[in-house]
Amino acid sequence: MNSEFENHLQRQPMREVPPHWRARIVAAAQPSPARWREWFQPWPQAWAALGAAWVVICVLHFTTPDEPRLAGNFQPLTPQSFALLQEQTMTMAQLLGATDAGEKPAALPAEPKPRSEMARRQLIG
Amino acid sequence: MKEMASAPNIERLYDDHAPALFAFLLNLLRNEADTQDIMQELFIKLARRPALLENVRDERGFLLRLGHNLAIDLMRRRGTRDRNYDQLAREPMVLFAKSPDPDEQTFREKLAEALGELPADQRAVVHLKLWEKLTFEAIAGTLEIPPNTAASRYRYGLDKLRERLRPIYDEIQ
Repeated sequence: MNSEFENHLQRQPMREVPPHWRARIVAAAQPSPARWREWFQPWPQAWAALGAAWVVICVLHFTTPDEPRLAGNFQPLTPQSFALLQEQTMTMAQLLGATDAGEKPAALPAEPKPRSEMARRQLIG
Repeated sequence: MKEMASAPNIERLYDDHAPALFAFLLNLLRNEADTQDIMQELFIKLARRPALLENVRDERGFLLRLGHNLAIDLMRRRGTRDRNYDQLAREPMVLFAKSPDPDEQTFREKLAEALGELPADQRAVVHLKLWEKLTFEAIAGTLEIPPNTAASRYRYGLDKLRERLRPIYDEIQ
């Protein structure tokens, strides 16, 4: 059983909640839209353009060959084309008159040595 | 398959329980801004986790316990950082409604001061017993302490209040 003092304390009314708190607290507690919507909603066209740009970049990336075109078309020299190249080099040297001046034709291929011959064979395939 | 809990009606919960939560938290924390923060945190928690209120029979008791736990967490965080809550509790503050009777108004101010001088655990029990009119069993459930502890904290707290307020109480009687 409460004493008179306790009863007196109980009769003291507590302060009321400040009225403006209600709107603030209730609003804060309302379920908010998903985070991704908060990000994307303000500028939908900008985000769409950025997305389209990335799609184009990806399409170009996957449809373009990885190696440059020149490297991709490289074919090893056949023996016939190698002989033709040698013949053209000699003709060029003759036309330039290098042999008349008593000089060695600079463009003539040197006598192949064992190691370089091996490498050339590999190149010729 | 487990059913999802329906979203609680926050406005209804606020209207039913905010006055009690406000008075309890303000008395405990002795700071209006902190009280608002904790109340907001509490209602956000209820809105985000509707399952919390499932199977709750005593809604008020549950919310007071939730508020008490959040307030204790805040006091621990702040207590170790930038604020001494025992000192803050002694600062004068408006805890009770204003009275047109000057004597009664003085008594309310002195009562608010005297409550601030109690340790927070005694203050919580005294508040729940006097202004929420809870039994010691219910207080024990709310504060997660044994009923005997609740009863002894109340007695100690009340004795201190009586001693502190005797002169002014005798005067107005």
